[in-house]
Amino acid sequence: MMNGVRRSFLYGLGASLGSIAFSSLLRGDEATAPLALKRPMHPAKAKNVILLFMEGGPGQMDTFDPKPELTRLHKQESKLAFGQENGFKFFVGSPFKFRTVGSNGIEMCDQWQHLADPYIADELCNYRGCQAESLNHPEALFHMNTGSRLGGDPALGAWVNYGLGTVNQNLPGYVVMTELALPQGGPTNWSNGFLPPHFQGTRLRPQGSPILDLTPQSYKSREHQRRALDELAWLNQQHLQSLAEEDAKLQARMQSYELAYRMQSEVPGVIDLSTESQHTQDLYGLDDPETQVFGRQCLMARRLVENGVRFVQIFSGGWDSHDYLQRGHTARIKSVDKPIAALIRDLKQRGMLEDTLVIWTGEFGRTPDNNKRGGVYSLGRGHNNKGMTMLLAGGGVRPGIVGATDELGSSAVECVHPIRDLHVTLLHLLGLDDNKLTYFHGGRFKQLSQFGGEVIREIVA
Amino acid sequence: MSSSHRPALLAAILVSTSFLHSVMASDKADRLFTLKVLPLLKDKCLGCHGGDKEDIKGDFSVAARSDLLRGGESGEPAVVPGKPAESTLLQAIKWENLEMPPKENDRLNDAQVQLIEQWIELEAPWPDEATQQRFRDEEAMAALTDEGQLVATSGGTSQEWSNRRYLPEDLWAFMPVKPVTELLPEDLPREEAIDYFINSKLAAAGLTSSPAAEPAQLIRRATLDLTGLPPTPDDCDRFVNAYSQNPESAWKQLIDRLLASPQYGEHWGRHWLDVTRYADTGGMSNDYERSNMWRYRDYVIRSFNADKPYNEFIVEQLAGDELADESVSRRTGQTNMEDVRLNGNYNQQESEWLIATGFLRLGPWDNAMVEADEARQIYLDDLVNITGQTFLAQTMRCCKCHDHKFDPLPTRDYYRIYAAFSTTHMAERPVPFLPQEDRSLFAASKSHVNRMLQFAVAEKDKILAKQENAARQWYEENNLPYKTEDDRKNDPDEMKPPRYVGLDHVEQGQRKVREQDEWIWNRRLERYEPMAQSVYSAPSYNMAWNGARKLRIQRQKAGDTSPETHILLGGALTALGDQVLPGVLSAISLPANNNGRDPFALTEEVSGRRLGMARWIADPSNPLTTRSIVNRIWQYHFGRAIAANANNFGAKGAKPTHPELLDYLAGDFVQAGWSIKSMHRLIMMSDVYRRDASPLPNTSFNEVDPTNALLSHFPRRRLTAEELRDSILAATGELVHCSGGLPIMPEMNMEVALQPRMIQFSLAPAYQPSPTPQLRNRRSIYAYQVRGQADPFTELFNQPNPNESCEMRETAAVTPQAFTLLNSDQMTDRSIAMALRLQAEQQQLEDQIQLAFRLILSRKATGSETERLIRYVTEMTEYHQQSTPTTVDYPTSITRSLVEEFSGETFDYEEILPGFENYTSDKKPGDVTAATRGLADMCLLLFNTNEFMFVE
Repeated sequence: MMNGVRRSFLYGLGASLGSIAFSSLLRGDEATAPLALKRPMHPAKAKNVILLFMEGGPGQMDTFDPKPELTRLHKQESKLAFGQENGFKFFVGSPFKFRTVGSNGIEMCDQWQHLADPYIADELCNYRGCQAESLNHPEALFHMNTGSRLGGDPALGAWVNYGLGTVNQNLPGYVVMTELALPQGGPTNWSNGFLPPHFQGTRLRPQGSPILDLTPQSYKSREHQRRALDELAWLNQQHLQSLAEEDAKLQARMQSYELAYRMQSEVPGVIDLSTESQHTQDLYGLDDPETQVFGRQCLMARRLVENGVRFVQIFSGGWDSHDYLQRGHTARIKSVDKPIAALIRDLKQRGMLEDTLVIWTGEFGRTPDNNKRGGVYSLGRGHNNKGMTMLLAGGGVRPGIVGATDELGSSAVECVHPIRDLHVTLLHLLGLDDNKLTYFHGGRFKQLSQFGGEVIREIVA
Repeated sequence: MSSSHRPALLAAILVSTSFLHSVMASDKADRLFTLKVLPLLKDKCLGCHGGDKEDIKGDFSVAARSDLLRGGESGEPAVVPGKPAESTLLQAIKWENLEMPPKENDRLNDAQVQLIEQWIELEAPWPDEATQQRFRDEEAMAALTDEGQLVATSGGTSQEWSNRRYLPEDLWAFMPVKPVTELLPEDLPREEAIDYFINSKLAAAGLTSSPAAEPAQLIRRATLDLTGLPPTPDDCDRFVNAYSQNPESAWKQLIDRLLASPQYGEHWGRHWLDVTRYADTGGMSNDYERSNMWRYRDYVIRSFNADKPYNEFIVEQLAGDELADESVSRRTGQTNMEDVRLNGNYNQQESEWLIATGFLRLGPWDNAMVEADEARQIYLDDLVNITGQTFLAQTMRCCKCHDHKFDPLPTRDYYRIYAAFSTTHMAERPVPFLPQEDRSLFAASKSHVNRMLQFAVAEKDKILAKQENAARQWYEENNLPYKTEDDRKNDPDEMKPPRYVGLDHVEQGQRKVREQDEWIWNRRLERYEPMAQSVYSAPSYNMAWNGARKLRIQRQKAGDTSPETHILLGGALTALGDQVLPGVLSAISLPANNNGRDPFALTEEVSGRRLGMARWIADPSNPLTTRSIVNRIWQYHFGRAIAANANNFGAKGAKPTHPELLDYLAGDFVQAGWSIKSMHRLIMMSDVYRRDASPLPNTSFNEVDPTNALLSHFPRRRLTAEELRDSILAATGELVHCSGGLPIMPEMNMEVALQPRMIQFSLAPAYQPSPTPQLRNRRSIYAYQVRGQADPFTELFNQPNPNESCEMRETAAVTPQAFTLLNSDQMTDRSIAMALRLQAEQQQLEDQIQLAFRLILSRKATGSETERLIRYVTEMTEYHQQSTPTTVDYPTSITRSLVEEFSGETFDYEEILPGFENYTSDKKPGDVTAATRGLADMCLLLFNTNEFMFVE
């Protein structure tokens, strides 16, 4: 704690605190550098995560898990029970046709044009066995993102940074990108929870300042800010010298200003997509209004990971198709298909895919049936906490289909695992053991899985 | 385990079949016999008298009561029940005529003789084998062995759990509070007690404590500590002057003045709201406003200011509605109780009690898409958990699924408390406004809400008109008579126009948004109704699927019965274990009733369960309660509690650093009438509170006590988010004091304020700051707390997420704090306001710098500081001759984008922001001169210094 104290003479005017801060970061001194790199607990298959979160819950039977039986039963009465739903319900066949793509038997609806390329498809693992618990969006979002339905626990990205630290101390270790609107539950989905605040997800904002208040007021130059920081360091140094003994808390705070200054210079470069070639920009669909938003975020994700960000999460909304399923899912798939394919291709070509785990999932799946809405046979689907579908790629994942849902897609029936096992598996791939990655809070050692879980071996290569 | 009632209680609790036994004198004699007398007889007599049936010396046996009554060969009874003097056995063991046992070495000592004498006096009972076994089992359990201490509880789900042993040091919180006489030397006055405990430990550790802090530091410390605000320069001068005359009386008067200031309750009320999780909305998918939740916030502030005895504070928050019910029935007779509840005919005291139960409405809750029984479980679990953490420092949630892993809390106790809450139902209740509740903002606020409502309705009507025109046309084309949307709802598809006929996807999306807005704003009209977020006791409640929208008290139907409560194994609603009745925690052996049969039981009536529990919690001999509150008070004074986990006194919580001090404070607290202000005085008058914030140089402090747990010096602490914002406003002179009422909306980062935010089916309305600085610049405790939209400033400085009880705030320095303190609009505006104040009050730059130091840092600037900052301000002023701040526009409407759920396509809509139409903005950099901006740069620096950010 006190080892930085004796060097306080370095803090004079003009002497950047940077060198000192950085050396303590390298040392892995937890008091001053909670994000310092840490060794994995066992050999890791993945180092980074890009989590593509389809908020609202995509329909498994309308994306990667074909259910011909539903087509046969289309508009016939359903007696399936989910949650509070009641009244007349009827089955809804998928509006999409399916085909098998690549060499691992991966199935996709015909709306997926770019993912279907065998170069991409052969990297994909389609896991069909996961089961959520909650039937409502925010609770299910909290569950998938933080391991707890109640909200307030640390998010996956916070745990991963807590376990591994981050490579680039000048960038946040956990970056979140959303659409203009925040998902339900908001920042609770990327909260540090009871972990120290350093592990909170930092939102890269789609408009305006990418990080709140990152840059000085427009009428203050960078030189102006440097001068202010030097004056501030001097004032703080005066104060420090007036004390009988020094205090690590005060020094940590002085360092945070220098970190801020470095982050100010680093972030704009990382998020400046104009340095990417036209070819790459087009690959991600930046030239098309329909794919531009998600495409920018996927390209940004690659750049962030490249620059040492440990965990990147992107939210894409609008998957909650209770009605007009065909229109809704067509548009949503279109908006993400090309960018995801580009991301996987780009990572693969740069040799980054093998240690970057890419996940595509929603907070739950959808039901094979629907209620009438306003008295009309509305062709959509309800929330399903028993069956869903997700994709995983790279980062030590075994390509192919794992698990299965029943013939209606109403429930997982093979390789069935709760969300906590998925979390344990993700940590496992990153070289972390959920049972050992604990933090004492509220009377016990807490862990991502809440009470432990098991690795889904079938997913791991 | 030294308390005198414990043995009797143990008997009653330990063996389930024994619940029917009453705790009476005969029990005492039976126990005496089994545990003391019989072993003596066996040990000392049986060898010769009855152990071997073939060889009984003197024809005298001690093997049975009848043998003793008969006596031996002399023919005289050895034992005459009730008459020790006539019992020859007693004479023999006293060696009066016979000398038994014959060997000196075996002879009974006086204490042993007395035990037998006492037993004979008590009619010499000889209980049957089963009873004896019961006493032996019990004794085995009470005993402390090498393996640890047993704790009697209402029983775990397994014998192994019930009989497991605890490390005695893990049970400290469950032990009775030691009486003062056991803790302090007799001649030590109360005022010296704290220093006695602290200094003894320091001496033992060989540490020297720091001297008293300078008076200027002391007043800043005390003022921030008690009011959350910095002292004014005048306050400082007066105090420093008075201190030089008479430090003790100056210090005492300062504390008295601060405790009497209304700002005290605002600051200490905020501590309580951290623990109880205050917010103005309900969180989860809809984040519904909990209208008038502020009444609970103001109740808390009033209670602290009035120094409401803590035991009353407990009972009011947990059972104020039941107090009100009792009061109403005293006033009116039982007959029209339900009507009173429904109409809210309450007097002021009753109203205050009802407002207090807002405590039971502070958890995040929404039952949308949650099964009814599960939604109910989530609520009740929340109540059990928050009650345990808040008042008892116990982590009850662990026992929702199983007996506690570390602490003597069986899952049975969790479910007994759960049962105590099982007749508690959420309701927004009619409760008249109190005269002290400030309603002055109602009119302006209501007209804003109406404006928003009218806009939503008008927009919706436009879209509906278009749709119905198209519908009419459809009916015409199909030669059918027109039907309204409602009327045609159940017609077959071919007999009615398609849904949303005539509307494109944009209008479809807009229609939904406007419909949501309509009811959101309609609902916000409830803000002006005499309503309180409260609860009531009733057998059952008929919860709607979207119940969180509207929770009104319901008239009970005849024949409604209270729900049965079972232990839920693993917390699963389907896995019913034993049925349990309402009750309290058993591990501290504090009975909740006097009937003896089941000492921890509460009433089984619908009403009165919570009241019984609250009174049990507020019992002066409840060691968890009294330790918990004094521990919290200590924590807020010193930045760390005596037992460092203020919400968890269990085995896994931090052990008290000064257990005797903790007990002393708990005892003193009760003796002083549960007065929190009295506890502040006691703590702040101590030497330890007045110490300098740095350890003495060249001491072994770093090696012996690097975390300063022993308090050789005063722990430096960072300002909380609210202290930071309020202190800045106080320094700039912008802070506005008020008496509570409707929450106000400070300016927050505009990007966040206008950030679209998903709620179920729609986007939440944008955040609109209050239109005038008079409103915006009230203290932070009066700000609107939205669970789904934290103010990024206060959140960044660790204002806790209100979904979890916060026992102590985080204070880590993270990079984004630097961004905000240097670059945000809010801080820029404050620095301009500060500069303007300095310029208004002083002409010369040097004087302005001096004034800034006094206002912000409560001290004078040094020569080198002044010199350097004069240069800085001068150069910055020069810089700002060229700088061109942009003008700030507050939009009066914005365009929102949303992905339409049905189509997956994006649509736009307009949202009005009438709050900005007549908006009095703060002075912006572009509104002031280069000199002001230059001076503001320096003010900003001072607000960024460690010296300002920390209390020393």
